[in-house]
Amino acid sequence: MSQTATPALSSRRACFLLVALAPLVVAAAALPAFAGNYLIDVGLTIVTYSILGLGLNIVVGYAGLLDLGYAAFFAIGAYTTALLETLLHFSFWETLPFSFLFAGASGVVIGYPTLRLRSDYLAIVTLGFGEIVRIIATNLEITGGPNGIYGIASPGLFGYEISSPRAVYELGLAFLACVLVFAVRLGGSRLGRAWASIREDESAAEAVGVPTLRTKLLAYVMGALIGGLGGSLFAARFGAIDPTGFTYLQSVTILIIVVLGGRGSIPGVLLGAAIVAGLPEMLRFLNLWRIFGFAVALVVLMLLRPQGLWPAALRRVAPSVSDAAAIDTPAPGKARAGTGATLLEVRGMERRFGGVRAVGGISFTVTDSEILSIIGPNGAGKTTVFNCLTGVIRLTGGEVRWLGASLAFGSPHRIVHRGIARTFQGIRLFASMTAFENVLVGMDHRYKAPLVAELLALPFARTETADHMADGLRWLGFVGLRARAGERAADLPYGDQRRLEIARALVSRPRLLLLDEPAAGMNPTEKRELMGLIRRIRDSGVTILLIEHDMMLVMGVSDRIIVMDHGVVIAEGKPGEIQADRRVIDAYLGTGESDEADGGAGGERSLWDS
Amino acid sequence: MSTFFQYVVEGLTIGSFYALVALGYTMVYGIIRLINFAHGDLFMVGAFVGWTALTMLAAQHLPWALALVAAFAASMAFTGVLGIAIERLAYQPLLRAPRLSILITALGISLALENGVLLIYGAGFNTYPHLLSQAGLVLYGVRFTFAQIGIVAASFALMFALYFFVHHTFVGTAMRALAIDQDAARLMGIDVERLIQLTFLLGSMLAAAAGVMEGLYYTQINFFMGFVLGLRAFTAAVLGGIGNIPGAMAGGILIGLLEAFGAGYVSSQWTDVFVFAVLIGVLVVKPTGLFGERVVERM
Amino acid sequence: MIARKDGACRANGVLRLATIALASACVVLAGLAPGSAQSQNTIKIGVPVPLSGSYASAGTDIVNGAKLAAAKVNAAGGVMGKQIELVPEDDACDAQTAVQAAQKLVDAGVAAVVGGYCSSAALPELTVFHRAGIPYVLDASTNPKLTEMGWDNVFRTIGRDDEQGPFAAGFMKNSLHAKRAAVINDNTTYSKGLAQNTVAALKKNGVDVVYDEAVTPGQLDYSPTLTKIASLKPDVVYYTGYFSEAGLMVKEARQLDLKAKFMGGDATNDPTLLSTAGPAANGMIITTAPLAQFLSGAHGYVDEYTKAYGQGPGPYSVYEYDAVGVTAKAIVDAKSDKPADIAAALHKIKNYRGTTGEIGFNEKGDRSHSVYITVIVRDNAFRPYQELDASGHWVAMK
Repeated sequence: MSQTATPALSSRRACFLLVALAPLVVAAAALPAFAGNYLIDVGLTIVTYSILGLGLNIVVGYAGLLDLGYAAFFAIGAYTTALLETLLHFSFWETLPFSFLFAGASGVVIGYPTLRLRSDYLAIVTLGFGEIVRIIATNLEITGGPNGIYGIASPGLFGYEISSPRAVYELGLAFLACVLVFAVRLGGSRLGRAWASIREDESAAEAVGVPTLRTKLLAYVMGALIGGLGGSLFAARFGAIDPTGFTYLQSVTILIIVVLGGRGSIPGVLLGAAIVAGLPEMLRFLNLWRIFGFAVALVVLMLLRPQGLWPAALRRVAPSVSDAAAIDTPAPGKARAGTGATLLEVRGMERRFGGVRAVGGISFTVTDSEILSIIGPNGAGKTTVFNCLTGVIRLTGGEVRWLGASLAFGSPHRIVHRGIARTFQGIRLFASMTAFENVLVGMDHRYKAPLVAELLALPFARTETADHMADGLRWLGFVGLRARAGERAADLPYGDQRRLEIARALVSRPRLLLLDEPAAGMNPTEKRELMGLIRRIRDSGVTILLIEHDMMLVMGVSDRIIVMDHGVVIAEGKPGEIQADRRVIDAYLGTGESDEADGGAGGERSLWDS
Repeated sequence: MSTFFQYVVEGLTIGSFYALVALGYTMVYGIIRLINFAHGDLFMVGAFVGWTALTMLAAQHLPWALALVAAFAASMAFTGVLGIAIERLAYQPLLRAPRLSILITALGISLALENGVLLIYGAGFNTYPHLLSQAGLVLYGVRFTFAQIGIVAASFALMFALYFFVHHTFVGTAMRALAIDQDAARLMGIDVERLIQLTFLLGSMLAAAAGVMEGLYYTQINFFMGFVLGLRAFTAAVLGGIGNIPGAMAGGILIGLLEAFGAGYVSSQWTDVFVFAVLIGVLVVKPTGLFGERVVERM
Repeated sequence: MIARKDGACRANGVLRLATIALASACVVLAGLAPGSAQSQNTIKIGVPVPLSGSYASAGTDIVNGAKLAAAKVNAAGGVMGKQIELVPEDDACDAQTAVQAAQKLVDAGVAAVVGGYCSSAALPELTVFHRAGIPYVLDASTNPKLTEMGWDNVFRTIGRDDEQGPFAAGFMKNSLHAKRAAVINDNTTYSKGLAQNTVAALKKNGVDVVYDEAVTPGQLDYSPTLTKIASLKPDVVYYTGYFSEAGLMVKEARQLDLKAKFMGGDATNDPTLLSTAGPAANGMIITTAPLAQFLSGAHGYVDEYTKAYGQGPGPYSVYEYDAVGVTAKAIVDAKSDKPADIAAALHKIKNYRGTTGEIGFNEKGDRSHSVYITVIVRDNAFRPYQELDASGHWVAMK
């Protein structure tokens, strides 16, 4: 089973990139041989900006978090190296682990308060942190105050001192190469997928098991690590640092690099760095007009190409053709008889919104392997029940027990890990991802191999990835979408999108699946197929809790039905009992006869006619 | 104790400027979800246009009240039109583009405005004529000038005029509708493009008024003066809940007071840290700012 | 995102290749632009100063001074038969730009470098020049650190902060008879350095320093800080930052009726302060290296400058004028245009008669006879006030 390459690179594109970039890579590495010191200095600035740009790209490009204070990490790395070298006489290489440590820790400190903020509030908070770091560095004696720290020794390597511009340039290139590999691997890993899913639809990501808060925090940490490395390189290059190198304008410059090049695009970031570092140098002859010229150029470039000069290729994670054909489709898991055990117990569940009782004290149980439906008029509180069960909103009263343990206060992704999965009333797929990748996101929390192993492409991690991909294909086949695995979710027809959502929920191997109006918008043929799918799901060992309006489907597939109205349960029982129940008929179902003589076009239609 | 009230007076003065500029940030954000980084520089342009007007009028020997009115009018008109021009040329084409692109464009416009003024007026500092008298009062040990009262009163008057406009006129209601749901507003027959331009016009005019007032009160203007003030005004807008007009006013005054108390009781070199720390603290507790509304997501 | 058709994809790819090619061409061309060989009949002298950004006016002023000096030398026949060619480069007062500017000058084959304004740019530049063995004569950077590196290629025609500080402290103690002093800085390298030196000297002189903190430059309203200082009742307030903030401060201090004497360091020495503060500035005292306008020997220079550029010289151009002059003398003394020889010759200079007075360099490269004076604001103009005479007494200047 072959593993797909980095999601953004199909092999044809990879070839194109290699051909286009190879001469540049060679030229870059060989620059010291033929260029003067000035050009090498410019090159080193480009290299430094490239490293920083790649780091910010992880935060802004991959994870979609607007960070206006990235210079803080840069500063922390630089000061760590500077202080440890001058005060404790560490060698440059010895300072690097600490640089990573402190920068990474600051990523947590900066990331943590911002996790729950909307993106534009994020901007000001990250900006604030950037300024706070700079002002602290300016005010404290130990960091040298506004003078900064000077006399930082150059790195040494096997007795050779790396102090000439050429040598530092080669060092910078080596660092850049490491960062490049890291960034590329990260983009194709499960973390990269998780970030992309959060960018698309954070709530949906959370609801399929992605630990969104932790994932966003990791974006800061990864970005911070790279920023710290850039800072250490900066300190080694100049031998002296001071707070004026870490201003808000510096953060903005790095953001410009990322956006100008193409957010999320690695070649774009490199190109952006070259332009932002190189263009002002080119425009030196303009003197006073230099920055004005740069500003106008920036605006024009953004207007002409708002997606960046080298936009990221659209993600397209698809199984290779041979893989798709090789997997056959029997239902994963064996059919088994229900045990009769109570899986879910809801007692007196209540949810208020201000003065409104959306759910006003309901109780029910769900037993193993049954299909239980909840029906009722719109506004009865059915989806609210789902939202309470999956942790999207909190209960204001009552209790829920799952497999004997309380389900209170879990965040949605934890509840997924505990075995409850759901779909949504309005389809919430990751629209620009392929069907295959949508499914992979749902499975990622089941990885046993740690992230590091995946990044390093260790054998056991590669095997696990391959197994996951095979599993994903099987589930796609289970819902009948195997042939369309490589298509973008947004391009799928409506019925297929619904099925994809179900597949995505199933891959986390839940014991209970919550389906919220899966038949909405379907024609009768599709509804019959859906009924078959629901039964197949139950037969594979998954218990189903279903909200639906289509009575044919509900009556045809359910073992038991609960009827809700105005937040309370008004009836409960087998399908036949419910159909006959007077209260249910009055509140919701209506009767089979039409009230008007003109064929029922004007009067109340019964749900039996839908 | 009188020192405390002295700080209050100073904080109100400083905060009035922040509030006026914060209003522009908040209005534009509310309408098109853009952090208009160039806004602080419109404040600066307003100050320079006012200076140019006053310098030209000084030769005419007009009574200074008339010259002032003319300066305000010229500055607000020019800056308002400049704001609309920027919106039409640089932001309008990018409204459907990725959000970050328009943000970077705003940064570019900000740089261009700063350096444009630098090229026209030079890098030095220009000085307004000293038109405001230094006369003042001392009440219970608290010292304030009539000019200060005038500044604060004028700022509040402008802010309330804007608030009234937005909440009690038809056009203002249309703007609020636009801020809530642009597509629905379009479907209701609201001319979205016109209203966006009107928003920029109003925000820029307020910033220009603040700029001229700043020039009159502090007398020193420079191409870079919009930077620090713009940053603090933006912080104020976010603190109050970005997109919320009373929030921007409250945020501006609050930041002014924080600055005064910070410098007075803590230390002026930690002012910015103090202000940002308070901001972060507030946002942790109330993620949408002091007056911001929670956007409810329907699942 | 709309799915792209194949033709658009290919056009996209071509556009990308074109962009890469363009970017690479730019970088390469930028690097190849300066000629690397020493031209046959000029001697190049580099002048790295800020020519863009907020300090551009100071940089331009310095370049103007250098041009006047070079013109004078060239009119007299140049040095060693060759003309002096000035090479100004913009360092934008920023470390990264400064390093690149310095590198460009080295690649251009300059024999010596005369200039500098911001200390934060001067130090990275100096590092580059040190590695290339090129002498750097500073005209405006007062940070002591620059000559404490133990390098032999750095020289100064301007004094140091650790000389101005004790001078200011002595004035406050002995001329103003202050018992309590407040010192404010703006948290930049120069300002903080001057403040630290002043505070140390004040404490040694037995003056009580009631306030020693920084403000944020770029703000408009310093009233809260001044209110706090007022409550500490100092006799004198000394601001070591720049003229822009100083003007605002002295005006706001007057508004708050702050009773202390207001003083400023040499960076407050600018006409803008007078126009901003108006009558509130009257009585303010500034410690400064002598301005060209107050130097007995410099009247000719002031006239020359005004005739050539239409306005009076700024505070540092005359020091640049002397720096270029002394460098030209060193080249003549060394009878060589090699940087190492010029540096050695500069060290030997003991009494070059410059417009700012006698210039000689000590073993660190600092100017051995640096002088400071005080000026006072009267009738909205700077007037010479007091100076130290040979016996250490404060006397009024002529």
